[in-house]
Amino acid sequence: MNQRFEFRSNANAGAFALAAAVMLVPANLLPVLDTQTSGNNRSDTILSGVIELWRNGLWAIAAIVFVASIMIPALKLAGLGWLLLKTRRGAPQDVGRLTRIYAAIDFIGRWSMLDVFLAAFLTGLVQFGEFSTVRARSGIVAFAAAVVLTVLATQAFDPRALWESPADSSP
Amino acid sequence: MAKGARFGPDAALAFSVTGLILAVPAALLPFVGAGKLGNERMSYLFTGVGALWGNGMQAVAVLVFLLGGLLPVALLLILACLHAPRSFGLTDGGAAQLYKAARTLEHWAIPEVQVLAVLVALMKLGNVVEVTVGPAFWCYCAMALSLILAQQSFNFEPPAPPGGTAAAQPQ
Repeated sequence: MNQRFEFRSNANAGAFALAAAVMLVPANLLPVLDTQTSGNNRSDTILSGVIELWRNGLWAIAAIVFVASIMIPALKLAGLGWLLLKTRRGAPQDVGRLTRIYAAIDFIGRWSMLDVFLAAFLTGLVQFGEFSTVRARSGIVAFAAAVVLTVLATQAFDPRALWESPADSSP
Repeated sequence: MAKGARFGPDAALAFSVTGLILAVPAALLPFVGAGKLGNERMSYLFTGVGALWGNGMQAVAVLVFLLGGLLPVALLLILACLHAPRSFGLTDGGAAQLYKAARTLEHWAIPEVQVLAVLVALMKLGNVVEVTVGPAFWCYCAMALSLILAQQSFNFEPPAPPGGTAAAQPQ
């Protein structure tokens, strides 16, 4: 039991964050959803799906999906990377503010799962053969993996490291 | 006693039991129906999970099942156990374990994100197919709300044992 793997460490947080950043590349480049409506086929990436919603006049929905699927993962990784850099450089002065940033990152992260639930729901509901069919594509697998990795990174990050200088922190 | 809790331990128990009861119709009753050119289709809460599984995306299917179905129910169950009267036989060690599990599950039980995803999908589908909202969707929304309220009422301090030593120590 003494040799137990310690999940909560900033090295793990950095590794998860890096893996998440790598997974975000295929997540944004590969199609996430195929839509077929009366012989009209289209294959959407996350961004092209948002643009399509915007073009159809569904601005509020486009904004929600854009924030949840594009802004939050990017902001979360940037914020986490910044916190990790801060803790490596020794105890920062603005500990209270950094802790609030960590709490915010922790709270908003869940909403980026929106696109995965959306793809699952649409794939289950819209099955009308040749009239209208929706099918989830491989991009959603990469996106789901990226989101899970960002949540793991946030949980592995130890906010206590914000209070300690690197010399104090024991492994 | 219930420091940081909004409604107190009795309310937390009431909300978690309410959520557990609502989870049953949410999983079994019709969730959302869709019609296109006379074809009617009714989906259930886990129809999307099955469709993803059938499309060869087993990992994403399991993820959606866990985050939107199993883990919210598990968290409700744990919160109910933690707030049930001690005469039900929960030991202090058991309470500490359950408390740790609840702290981890907080990040993974996200029914409210699935609610938003379904709302986004309904608005997106509004002008393509005719959608009807089934009773399971309302039960699911109420279950998600009960979970949030139960978490708000939950005192996220480690349970203090009668001896007064730290309860969260692993055994």
